[in-house]
Amino acid sequence: MKPPVFDYRAPVSVEETQQALAEYQADGKLLAGGQSLVPMLNMRLARPAVLIDINRVTELAFVRADDGGLTIGALTRQQALLEHPTVQERWPLLAEATRHIGHRTIRNRGTVGGSLAHADPAAELPAVMLALDAVVTVSSTRGERQIPARDFVVDYLTTALEPTELLRSVWVPALPPRTGWAFQEVSRRHGDFALVAVAALVTLDAAGVCTDARLVLTGVGPTPVPVDLRQTLIGAAPSPAAVAAAAEAAQAAVDPPSDVHAPAEYRRHLARVLARRALTTAIERAGGTE
Amino acid sequence: MVEKRPVTVTVNGQVRQAEVEPRRTLADFLREDLNLPGTHLGCEHGVCGNCTVLLDGQSVRACLMFAVQADGHEILTVEGLVAPNGDLHPLQEAFWEHHALQCGFCTPAMLLTAYEYLQQHPVPGSDEEIREAIGGVLCRCTGYQNIVTAIRAAATKLTAAGPAPASRSVAD
Amino acid sequence: MAEPATTRPKWIGQSMKRVEDPRFLRGKGRYIDDIRLPNMAVAAILRSPHAHARIVRIDTSAAERLPGVYAVVTGQDVRARMAPLPTFAVGPIYQDLLAVEKVRHVGEAVAAVVAENRYIAEDACELIEVEYEPLPPVVDPFAAMEPGAPLVHEALGSNVAYQRTFTFGDFDRDFNEADHIVRAKLRWPRSSGMPMETNGAIGDYDEGTGILTIYANSMNFTYFQWLIATSLKIPASKLRVVPINAGGSFGSKFFMHKVPTLAGFLSMVAGRPVKFVEDRIDHILNNDHCGSDRYYDVALAVDRDGTMRALQIKVVDDYGAYLQFGTGTHGNALAQVVGPYRIPSVQYELTAVLTNKNQQGAYRGFGSEVNNWVLERMVDFAARELGLDPVAIRRKNFIRPEQFPYRTPTGNIYDSGNYEGVLDKALALAEYDRWVAERERARQEGRYLGIGIVTAQERSVFSSTEFWFWFDQPGFPVTSSPESATVTIDPTGKFIVTLHSLAFWGNSPETVATQVVAEQFDIDPADVVVTYAASQRALPGTGPGGSRFTVMVTGALVGASGRLKEKIKKIAAHRLEVSPEDLEFHQGSVRVKGSPERALTLSEIALSAYMFKLDLPEDVESGLEASYTFDHPYTTLPSPDRKDLGVFYPFMGHACHIAVVEVDPETGQFTWHKYAAVADAGTVVNPMTLDGHLTGGTAQGLGTALYEEYVYDDRGQMLTASFMDYLVPTAMEVPRIDIDHQETPSPYTPYGIKGAGEGGRMMAPGVITAALEDALAPLGVRITELPITPAKLVRWIAEAKARGQAPTA
Repeated sequence: MKPPVFDYRAPVSVEETQQALAEYQADGKLLAGGQSLVPMLNMRLARPAVLIDINRVTELAFVRADDGGLTIGALTRQQALLEHPTVQERWPLLAEATRHIGHRTIRNRGTVGGSLAHADPAAELPAVMLALDAVVTVSSTRGERQIPARDFVVDYLTTALEPTELLRSVWVPALPPRTGWAFQEVSRRHGDFALVAVAALVTLDAAGVCTDARLVLTGVGPTPVPVDLRQTLIGAAPSPAAVAAAAEAAQAAVDPPSDVHAPAEYRRHLARVLARRALTTAIERAGGTE
Repeated sequence: MVEKRPVTVTVNGQVRQAEVEPRRTLADFLREDLNLPGTHLGCEHGVCGNCTVLLDGQSVRACLMFAVQADGHEILTVEGLVAPNGDLHPLQEAFWEHHALQCGFCTPAMLLTAYEYLQQHPVPGSDEEIREAIGGVLCRCTGYQNIVTAIRAAATKLTAAGPAPASRSVAD
Repeated sequence: MAEPATTRPKWIGQSMKRVEDPRFLRGKGRYIDDIRLPNMAVAAILRSPHAHARIVRIDTSAAERLPGVYAVVTGQDVRARMAPLPTFAVGPIYQDLLAVEKVRHVGEAVAAVVAENRYIAEDACELIEVEYEPLPPVVDPFAAMEPGAPLVHEALGSNVAYQRTFTFGDFDRDFNEADHIVRAKLRWPRSSGMPMETNGAIGDYDEGTGILTIYANSMNFTYFQWLIATSLKIPASKLRVVPINAGGSFGSKFFMHKVPTLAGFLSMVAGRPVKFVEDRIDHILNNDHCGSDRYYDVALAVDRDGTMRALQIKVVDDYGAYLQFGTGTHGNALAQVVGPYRIPSVQYELTAVLTNKNQQGAYRGFGSEVNNWVLERMVDFAARELGLDPVAIRRKNFIRPEQFPYRTPTGNIYDSGNYEGVLDKALALAEYDRWVAERERARQEGRYLGIGIVTAQERSVFSSTEFWFWFDQPGFPVTSSPESATVTIDPTGKFIVTLHSLAFWGNSPETVATQVVAEQFDIDPADVVVTYAASQRALPGTGPGGSRFTVMVTGALVGASGRLKEKIKKIAAHRLEVSPEDLEFHQGSVRVKGSPERALTLSEIALSAYMFKLDLPEDVESGLEASYTFDHPYTTLPSPDRKDLGVFYPFMGHACHIAVVEVDPETGQFTWHKYAAVADAGTVVNPMTLDGHLTGGTAQGLGTALYEEYVYDDRGQMLTASFMDYLVPTAMEVPRIDIDHQETPSPYTPYGIKGAGEGGRMMAPGVITAALEDALAPLGVRITELPITPAKLVRWIAEAKARGQAPTA
């Protein structure tokens, strides 16, 4: 099981990377952590003419937080993200979801940008970024643009990135006070891709009224699935009935696939169960009693 | 034909140089070009973890990296855990003492994964935490239990002996 | 042969650290893929993408032109130069090293490339053009039995390779007299040993001498070395097989001949050493040793008080495309088909079906693990249907200690046992009563806590008759399964033990040999070195399989040691001027009983044996070496009518495993509370390594029960052809296992040892199934198939609830 022949470039700056992407167009493939791409190369399921390895573009490896939010460079290793004290403190949902990615050895190499750009339908980060209302910054020799996370993953293993574009960073807004969170995942083995995972955020006001709630599921279709909670949770103090209704909405929102690990029916069932559990926990953490 | 690239790496404390095709995996490079066959290939698609080595002190799967990517980096393989005088590392001793290996094929990866864990957690957490730490390396023989026991025993020995284990590690 | 010492053993029974370990800890394991010979090339295989297709044309010219490629071979080359591969099948079910006219499963080898390295070899495989004419595949074994189904082997005229019903005891009477019949349809899916190291070999053909050397991580080459030579059409005297450390087998490298034969063939074709090591996809698609793939229809006849009267098993086994190992995996099951219970009669109907899948072979348990699961399922169903306690029904039916040796209905003998002793120890170890109380409390709280218990057998030391007693006119009714050892003392008094046909694969051959020899001679184990004979030809051997290694090699070592001790005593008696009977071995020397100061060290004796011929008795030849071939100590032939299969697996181990789990009925996931195992493997040689086998085997059994499955879709495509989809348990899926032992020695083996290498996997599937079912008992869930996935549990819960809510007539 050995990869096919490819040529190799290892740019050391964003600028060089953009130039290489412009030069090779669709023949070029960015290599970041390689934890998804290299298995496909070894199995000869991917055969790019040129690998553009961005592991030496160190300017892309950073985590910066300010009052407004968190900016994560694309080359930030997943393990570095989850160990980052500010991330753990202010964006615990992100840390918790990242902990579910594979094993430590995978996270040592795997990058935040790589996970988003690969857009595996069962991956954690694309879903969590959607829940967090993140914004992705991409650039090419033609300039830079911002893509909201909700528009970023467009289909199975497909993003809004153009072949010549580089995912540079992702910005996550600060969470409002009294925001609770939860991440729930079921996988076959520890470290496997999710059969279904659910990210939840619930914001309450001082009176306990839910002012905002977000729920995103992964593993249930070609892209992460956000659930509209305006009819169920938002606008009132959360009740068990409201949570149950929201969980029903989650189940109704998904059209999951069947595969060797689980039938669609089970994934649909999990969507409801995990949504209910995640929302319940998030409400508790927001200071609500449900 | 794609031209070969020069690669310079520090492996187990020694600077090694070679010319490799870009597609040559780090695992094949270590095993065949540098004659360090202790890094084992179990699946070559990044699941079994049997090819785990330490890159700049962090565990990585050598089947999921290309040798060219390791240029300029430091690597520790199982061969480098042994002290210069040939003594086994306390982790290796503990694996022996507690029967933490049967066929030995996953053992190098288990040792290096445990090594990384103990670097970060000199006093190990619960058995569950140790199991999570080695969760990325598949073992088909032992059922893992004795590996957990051995890691805990090695930690006790290492903390008693002081912070610097006697090894050619680049991660110390 | 010499009798083992009667005094209390000094080294047998010690948890001695393994002598094998240092090389593996240092990363110097010298596995097959670590070996590089000068001028060596590497092979890769092109495999069939079709489940069933005729090969119309193969064009290898582009592959041959690729720089770095040395040879490309296809089935035509194989057909021209080689004979078909050996098989235990009766009837026209031939198998070639590379497919010739048609491919019969996805992953079957179609062509092989020899090249400078594996990268180029795989590049070349992509350049081979194969034109296939797809044929309708037959995937489901029941569809395969239908008239008009596509035929896997046309010459056979049917996909049913074997069908026969065996009746043991007065089955009709017992079955009809019983108060109650418990019935179930049970499904055991295909999984496999999946060692972390795949199968591999290096062929090295010497054109000058005509000698072919094959290095291989095969387990038991001595037994069939001549068969490889026959396939290769070379004299067996010119084939040398060298055993190489194997990174695990669990059956996968048992009778492993295809990979060595391929490497040998390619070396002869390419004129240089050739290495072929399977990659993981090669291994999953075409390793010759997938486990059993069975559909059961079972009836257990019981009386109201729980007395078991008769057992009827109808089993359809989906063997895949070839029947290379015959139906031996059912012979194995028949060795212990009644488990530890006094079931007086048995009917066993086997239908072996061919389909377009990879072939079956050996996986730890060799078919008996399936029978254990089936029987323990039936016992639990009986307990539930009769309203009996699962512990009580087992206790009631156990064969009693005074009934041994016990003749089972199939004719196989159980040598010894104390099943209640094991049960009581296990109940204590697991704190069974406490968990029963805890289960009650949990149920009141609406939690789903369950306790599973199995009490089952582990037969050990197979006799070859199980491979052929199926047939009235077997093709090759082999009856030998020996093991050999050579003990050498060098001129300095150090010991060298040579094992024949026993490679290292994760078991502890060198440690066992060291302990036995240290015991025999009362020497320091550090003075023993263990090596493996290369075959050209080694002394008779069979190899590790069927939990035979420790018993058989100990027998060989005790025999060789006895012969050598006799010679040493003769030399020492001559020099000390006493009678040999007056001498004893003591701490590295030989001394006169009662006069310990009159002694010679073994080094003194060794030096004289090699260098001072004139100091030796006249009839003693120079040197200190003895060999012994130990045949199976207790095996008999089957009766001509096959109502009595004879004694073929008599050293009967036993174990009780108890598991406590708690199920989350909403997600189908569960958590472990307890796993306790008590085993009786007779005299224990090394408790630490035995516990290691037990723990590892249990982990594998849990893999079979919960995670692992070879899944083919209805077109015969393999859906689990990588480690992303074939799920080997990680450290997080395996619970802590508490272990205890009971020792009921075998009266027939050296030191009373029984085999135990397969034990964990023979018990774990049953106990986790029972525990999960017990947890969900309030919902009425009945578990009849593996693997038990969270998705299935949720479905079964929903179905049970629907049944419960359905209006009853």
